[in-house]
Amino acid sequence: MVQFFSDVLIRTVDLALIAVGLSCVYSLIRFPNIALVQYAVAGSFLALLLQGAGLPLPVAGLLACLLVGGLAVLLNVTVFERLLASGSAIAMVGSLAVTMILSAVFLVVFGPDSRRFDLDSHPVIRVLDARLTVHQLTAVGLTAGAVIVLALLLFRTTLGRSMRATATNRVLAAATGIDARLITNTVVFLSGVLAALGGIGLALKGEMNIQLGMDVLLPVFAAAILGGLGNALGAVAGAVIIATAETLVTNVNLGPLVGEPLLFLPASYATAMSFLILVAALLVRPHGLFVNEVKRV
Amino acid sequence: MFEFLIHVSTMACLFGLLALSLNLQVGFAGLVNFGHIALFGCGTYGAAIAFANQWGPVAGLLLGGAAAALLALAFARLGRNLGADYWGIATLSIAEILRTFATNEQWLTGGAQGIHGLPMLFGSLPAPWGPLATLGLCAVLLAVCWALCQRLVNGRYGLALKLLREEPQLASSLGYDLAALRRTPLVISGLIAAVAGFLFAHYTTFVGPDQLYSAETFLIWSMLIVGGLGNNLGAVAGAFLMQFLLAYVPFVKDALGLPSEFVAAMRLTLVGGGLLAFLLWRTQGLIPERIGGRHA
Amino acid sequence: MLETILSTESIRKSFGAHCVLDGVSLSVRKGEIVGLLGPNGSGKSTLLNILSGFTPSDGGAVNVDGHDVTGLPPHAIARLGLVRTFQLPSMPHRMTVREVLQAGCRREAGLGGALRRWRYDAEVARLLDQFLLTRVQDQPASALSGGQKKLLSIATALRSRPKLLCLDEPTAGVHPNLRSRMVELLKEVNAQGVTILVVEHDMEFIRELCGRCVVLDRGALIADCAPRELVENPRVVEAYLGKAVEKGKLTA
Repeated sequence: MVQFFSDVLIRTVDLALIAVGLSCVYSLIRFPNIALVQYAVAGSFLALLLQGAGLPLPVAGLLACLLVGGLAVLLNVTVFERLLASGSAIAMVGSLAVTMILSAVFLVVFGPDSRRFDLDSHPVIRVLDARLTVHQLTAVGLTAGAVIVLALLLFRTTLGRSMRATATNRVLAAATGIDARLITNTVVFLSGVLAALGGIGLALKGEMNIQLGMDVLLPVFAAAILGGLGNALGAVAGAVIIATAETLVTNVNLGPLVGEPLLFLPASYATAMSFLILVAALLVRPHGLFVNEVKRV
Repeated sequence: MFEFLIHVSTMACLFGLLALSLNLQVGFAGLVNFGHIALFGCGTYGAAIAFANQWGPVAGLLLGGAAAALLALAFARLGRNLGADYWGIATLSIAEILRTFATNEQWLTGGAQGIHGLPMLFGSLPAPWGPLATLGLCAVLLAVCWALCQRLVNGRYGLALKLLREEPQLASSLGYDLAALRRTPLVISGLIAAVAGFLFAHYTTFVGPDQLYSAETFLIWSMLIVGGLGNNLGAVAGAFLMQFLLAYVPFVKDALGLPSEFVAAMRLTLVGGGLLAFLLWRTQGLIPERIGGRHA
Repeated sequence: MLETILSTESIRKSFGAHCVLDGVSLSVRKGEIVGLLGPNGSGKSTLLNILSGFTPSDGGAVNVDGHDVTGLPPHAIARLGLVRTFQLPSMPHRMTVREVLQAGCRREAGLGGALRRWRYDAEVARLLDQFLLTRVQDQPASALSGGQKKLLSIATALRSRPKLLCLDEPTAGVHPNLRSRMVELLKEVNAQGVTILVVEHDMEFIRELCGRCVVLDRGALIADCAPRELVENPRVVEAYLGKAVEKGKLTA
């Protein structure tokens, strides 16, 4: 049972930060940005490069996050702002194109093989009954820390108030002297940082490869949509739900249902489960489960 | 070299069918479908499952068509209360679920290895004539589907679709049932994609889940955006252009002595770069949608 | 002429705690031109949205031409003969004016053949002419001026042969010259047998056009009379002038 909860926790950590980044930026720029998952891959690879250049990992990670934040702003200003003028669907297709181009860059620069951070190997430790590695615990700590910092930023600072004001009513916020474009790009920067941090967290616990982004794409979207796109902290709840469902699917013995002693679904059905939840959530509540948005006539 | 040319042309015709069918959804009805490859998959697996169970190719075509029509109806149902971008994500998810299913359900689909050994179309003809006849058949079907799509979108019905695409609220205030109006192009598009899938299965003689990656959907998207959304000729032109460009990438690699990653990276760059360049600088594509003119 | 084409029975609607319509009952007879008036926020547009099926009501019933349409989707109500226009008509970018007008008619050509096609074309040409759109027929519909968009939306609505045409502020933002032409146009349309319900702010317009008007204030019907009797109705005077007096005080 404890192992189950720790599995859920680890999977939540995989998804949470990228989903929070996606959700954050959606509150200001109304289209689902697919390229965000590639920012996560970029973050982990940049951290790897910088570590290879001789920086200690924490410094390399921090620098990578800032660089990816910058990349996110750059892409937003040069590409997405322009595409969004033609509609959210066009912008989404554009983000898909950016995703493919980034994939090509990763492939050329880093090659198709999986890589790892240069880390000391630690023995597996037992917390209660669950087996965890130090690196997994670090990733959990990083995620929790980042979410708390983000929550403080959103709800305790002037910047956070301006962000929420702009998200609620851009025109009104602009009238009170808020520079909407500056705020938007700040949030874009933040989303890039969050995604990169999420990617580094993913890579800390195992390997990184260029497929990482596409692998987490739909689970991350599922978490963000379940949490109500635009609701940053809802995305964390969404990630918990998705992680629980995925873990349940592969850990429950379906044998008794079909009259056999043991029947487990293949592991790849875990992600399929999150897609299924995504579709179901979209069917039931088009705007996510934690947002009460009145549809305009 | 000649054989290769015939091969690329055949593939271009098949992708031309897929581009036409996606154009019906995206270009005319404004339905942002990111799971289009699943409709194609209905066609390939219809052929493969009928072959594995020895039901014959006609049953395979019917099976594929029926599955694609059902899937299209499911897509349509899902679209009833979703915005365009959400619907895109939902269709992408469904395509991925189906691919996962195809990978894991060995008993039905042959699992990750897929189903091998489907009979070639015109397999009995001698060397250059078999592939040529296949190309001819694909080209004829492409022409037929093109004519069908033209007929569909050039009449009053096409205008209704365009009105739905641009001003759904106005369309429904005039008495158009949006759900029904969306259903028809989706089903027709699904059937065309299933035919393409059936032909593809009997052309390559192998059906597997790796043919159904979402990257294929995105490839079809790039054909549409490059060729011209909302223009049937543009869709077909885009399919030929992209297919020929991609087919010659390996030759460039060999000529320049580049590593094998280059091929994959170049394909991604062509598809992604083509999409992005046209979205940014020539949104209407190579052959823009026709606006105005006479309608029957 | 006295047959009822539209009747509503105690329509109620709240947005959250805010009650917008509090039991509105009204009826429109065939062949009438009825004005629906009221100060800003009195619930006129919401009522129109409920009649046409775009907003669900919280209670009450709507009857169009003998059919209970409560809860029906917009397209079903439109098919029963109630067709509406929008206050800010938004028109497609990639369709010409003529194409929008052609798309306005839902009936499929099907078996009709050349004769029917010719008649449809003739109708489109006549409407283009009648609504002063012939000159701009090949322009993208979204490029029209606000007033022209309103004309186009009325013309398009007419193509689906409505029995009852509901107009949402047809003169708001329209050039004064066009405004007087609009009165003539709507009278012509009415003379051809189309009943009209028009939501308006402009009293002058209502006086010229309507035979009867109903006044909404804070979600309730406060008057149902001929336009010229409005000024004698103390509740209407209070609803409008009360505010005007307050405004006067504020600006003074």
